[in-house]
Amino acid sequence: MDHSGAPSDGSVVRAVLAGDTDQFSVLVRRYRDRYARYAAHMLGSIDAAEDAVQDAMVRAYTHLGQCREPENFAGWFFLILRNRCFAERRRSRWETGLEGVSEVAAPEQTESELERSEVVKDLQRALLRLTAEQREVFVLKHVEGLAYDEIAARLKTSVAALKMRMHRAYDRLRELLEAP
Amino acid sequence: MKREWNPLVKQVLDGERELETLPADLRLEAETARRLLLDAIDRQAVTLSASLDARVMARVRSRATAPWSRAWRWLSAPTVPRWAVMVPIAAAAGILLLARTSTPPAIGEPRTALTGQRESVYVRFELYAPHASRVALAGTFNRWDPAATPLVRVGSDGMWTVTIALPSGQHQYGFMVDGRNWVPDPVAPAVDDGFGRRNSVVSVNTMNGRIL
Repeated sequence: MDHSGAPSDGSVVRAVLAGDTDQFSVLVRRYRDRYARYAAHMLGSIDAAEDAVQDAMVRAYTHLGQCREPENFAGWFFLILRNRCFAERRRSRWETGLEGVSEVAAPEQTESELERSEVVKDLQRALLRLTAEQREVFVLKHVEGLAYDEIAARLKTSVAALKMRMHRAYDRLRELLEAP
Repeated sequence: MKREWNPLVKQVLDGERELETLPADLRLEAETARRLLLDAIDRQAVTLSASLDARVMARVRSRATAPWSRAWRWLSAPTVPRWAVMVPIAAAAGILLLARTSTPPAIGEPRTALTGQRESVYVRFELYAPHASRVALAGTFNRWDPAATPLVRVGSDGMWTVTIALPSGQHQYGFMVDGRNWVPDPVAPAVDDGFGRRNSVVSVNTMNGRIL
């Protein structure tokens, strides 16, 4: 248990593996929203993100015995969700329209917020036209606020490779956003 | 025509350079880049619907009672009794690895050593990569840090090697070639890492210095 008295991820994982299936709901509550924003930006809508998180949670339960570091359940779950998001991109290869994008953008009220909402949607549309790898590094760095070395550790790649991917993303976004 | 941001502007976007340090003729470009790419980012938190938990748990409970699912989780759970089943399987799959990686460092036999409080075995990792300029070992034992354990080129035939002490247990790893290419060990068993890549597996038993 941590200082708040809540069971650690490791102890919950071990309890589930020992047969206490209902304990898995602790992990569901703990992580259901943790990576929802990542998934929403990767897939272009909150509905798609919800489906991805749901599937990733069930997959995490099914393969829980392969979680070699139970205390790092969060990192392990993120990788399952990431895989799910990439698989979804490969499956559908759609151009997400305005409707999907608007679900990610903030609801608008005033005129200035309306204007900002349009700018936000423009960027969202452009992000959806990047490769999944380019979009992921953009989302992790600029939406989730991770540093390059943190992303590299999480994705098991190098900072140099990430920067190259990101810089290509910047150029591609410029093409898309400045196109007449 | 394709228009690329100036490399210095990209450094500003990366947060590695202050806009004020740019030459005057680049500041407008940097301000435009910031406005288009960074100021427009929606960082609002996303909260999924309240019914998600119940839907997940319904599927989980359904799987928990399925015989195939129970058998799979029993086999894959990393607890001591299960190793009684898994070790012979791993042994059968890892004979090639034993023949190669049990070659000891310098003295001819696998050596055991104390690393902290845990007994360890020296394991030599090798990769044939004649065109690589650098090779590193990354795995569960070094937090997947591709900078932590570089391999050394041996001679001129393209072989790279490193020897490290590993504690008893199963370790996943791979080679990072030239800082960007992930290469699983071609002579070791491998597992899916859950997101599209293969990781090699080595099992270390410190009781008799064996490596599977």
